[in-house]
Amino acid sequence: MDTNLKRRAFVKYLALGSASITAASYGAVNDKPKAQTKKPNFGMIFDQNKCVGCTDCERACVKVNLVPKGQMRLFVEDKTDPNNRMQKRYVRVSCQQCVEAPCASVCPTNACHKDLLTGITTTNADDCIACKYCIVACPYDVRFINSENHAAESCNFCLDTNLAEGKEPACVEACRYDALVFGDLNDEESHISKLLRIKDSLRMRPECGTKPSLRYIPAVKMGV
Amino acid sequence: MNGAINYTHTFSSGVVWHWPIAVYLLLAGMSGGALIVALLIRYYKKQTGVTPLFKGASLLSLVTILLGMVCLVADLDKPLYFWKILINYNFTSVMSIGVLALCIYIPLSFVVILYAFEKELNAFFANHFTFLKAFFGLIMNILNFIRPLMFVLTLIFAVAICAYTGFLISVLVRFPILNTSALPALFVASGLSAGIAGSGLIAAMFFREDTHSSDLKILHAIEWPVMAAEILLIGMIFVSLIIGSDVQKAASMAFFSGEYAKMFWIGVVGIGFVIPIVFNFLLGKTFAHTRFAFYVSSLASIIGVLMLRMFILYAGQTYSIFI
Repeated sequence: MDTNLKRRAFVKYLALGSASITAASYGAVNDKPKAQTKKPNFGMIFDQNKCVGCTDCERACVKVNLVPKGQMRLFVEDKTDPNNRMQKRYVRVSCQQCVEAPCASVCPTNACHKDLLTGITTTNADDCIACKYCIVACPYDVRFINSENHAAESCNFCLDTNLAEGKEPACVEACRYDALVFGDLNDEESHISKLLRIKDSLRMRPECGTKPSLRYIPAVKMGV
Repeated sequence: MNGAINYTHTFSSGVVWHWPIAVYLLLAGMSGGALIVALLIRYYKKQTGVTPLFKGASLLSLVTILLGMVCLVADLDKPLYFWKILINYNFTSVMSIGVLALCIYIPLSFVVILYAFEKELNAFFANHFTFLKAFFGLIMNILNFIRPLMFVLTLIFAVAICAYTGFLISVLVRFPILNTSALPALFVASGLSAGIAGSGLIAAMFFREDTHSSDLKILHAIEWPVMAAEILLIGMIFVSLIIGSDVQKAASMAFFSGEYAKMFWIGVVGIGFVIPIVFNFLLGKTFAHTRFAFYVSSLASIIGVLMLRMFILYAGQTYSIFI
């Protein structure tokens, strides 16, 4: 009798337990896609306080992305104030990876587009007819016609090279001073999101309304 | 821009869209303008037959838009891939919408030319390629049946072509001279101006239209309000630049110094506005009524519109928000 009751209780708990587990796992399954429906928004931070202007990033970019000689997707401009040579300042010049990218919206053939999976703005060289509309539409003037395949291009965070191999963009890999941080801005737990929560950063030319994903941490030194 | 974080080095060096685009902008504007004027005069005077002006305008519009296409394709870095633009469409792109409009407009202007030269073509097929005569007759029967519809469609698309050339470059936010709301209106007005001058010229030269015929008198009468609108719109753009932000003020220098200022003052103002006005109003009626004055002032208007497109395109791309 006693054992019978116990067995019954056991079966009952088993049933309840499995039901709750199923429910929980169902819930979890349901939850997960919800979290993932927020598409990634890959961004990058350029920290002016850390960049020393060594241009390792430039060389890595040219090497990895096979950028033709004399052209570049990434340039580090020396913006040191001529009146204050002691305090060096460098700025990264490259595609700002706008959320609302004018290059993609004006491209008549959809060659310049946002990658479906990653949301990264990139160009399909085969569809590009080199009308140069994207080049004049870009408020940051960081697109150019590749002198070898005559298609327009710009930085695409190494989407088809390093990123495809599961690595970080070439410039980030090459930077010895941690001046570049790459990651998903939509992922609250990513290093880049955490960094942006504690650091003051700015977007280039916000007045153009393009919502760049490239963030700059300016070197601010108070005069004494 | 003094902030040390704002870069000034950029990857496209200066002007990206060169003179073929300016010539295309002129040709497209002239093509649309000529058809707009010819059709409006047709409606206004309730004409049913074929006038020399209608012939001139239809011939001009088809020839100019086809030459414009040559310029457009020639300016591509991959001209042999131009067909990709015909199979891929992106409706957020003004260029794509324009291509779609052109795909409708060019056949329409071809149909208009068939209407204008139906008699000549009939005579031609009666003597040559006689096997095509019946086919041509059939086509014209269908086309004549839908003629009113075709004319309305042509009018709508002619305006669209004129306006789209302005919108095409006014969406370029980097350039203060281009990124103005008045630019599409200016392009419609100057396209009309070139269309008026061009179709009058062709009608008088090739179709023996008397330069004092009633059609050309109307053309002459609407020429001046259109020019006034053009001057007004250029004035608006100029004023919006000199009272605007730092970058707009810097861009207004295009009107004052350098090569482009010369292009504007000599080409647009001198040739485009002053010569036609002087020839038609200031040198006396007898001179204004000569064929010489008619031809020269018509040509001057067209060159003026070309210079306007050149100025807008080159100065526009030279003065960007990077200062």
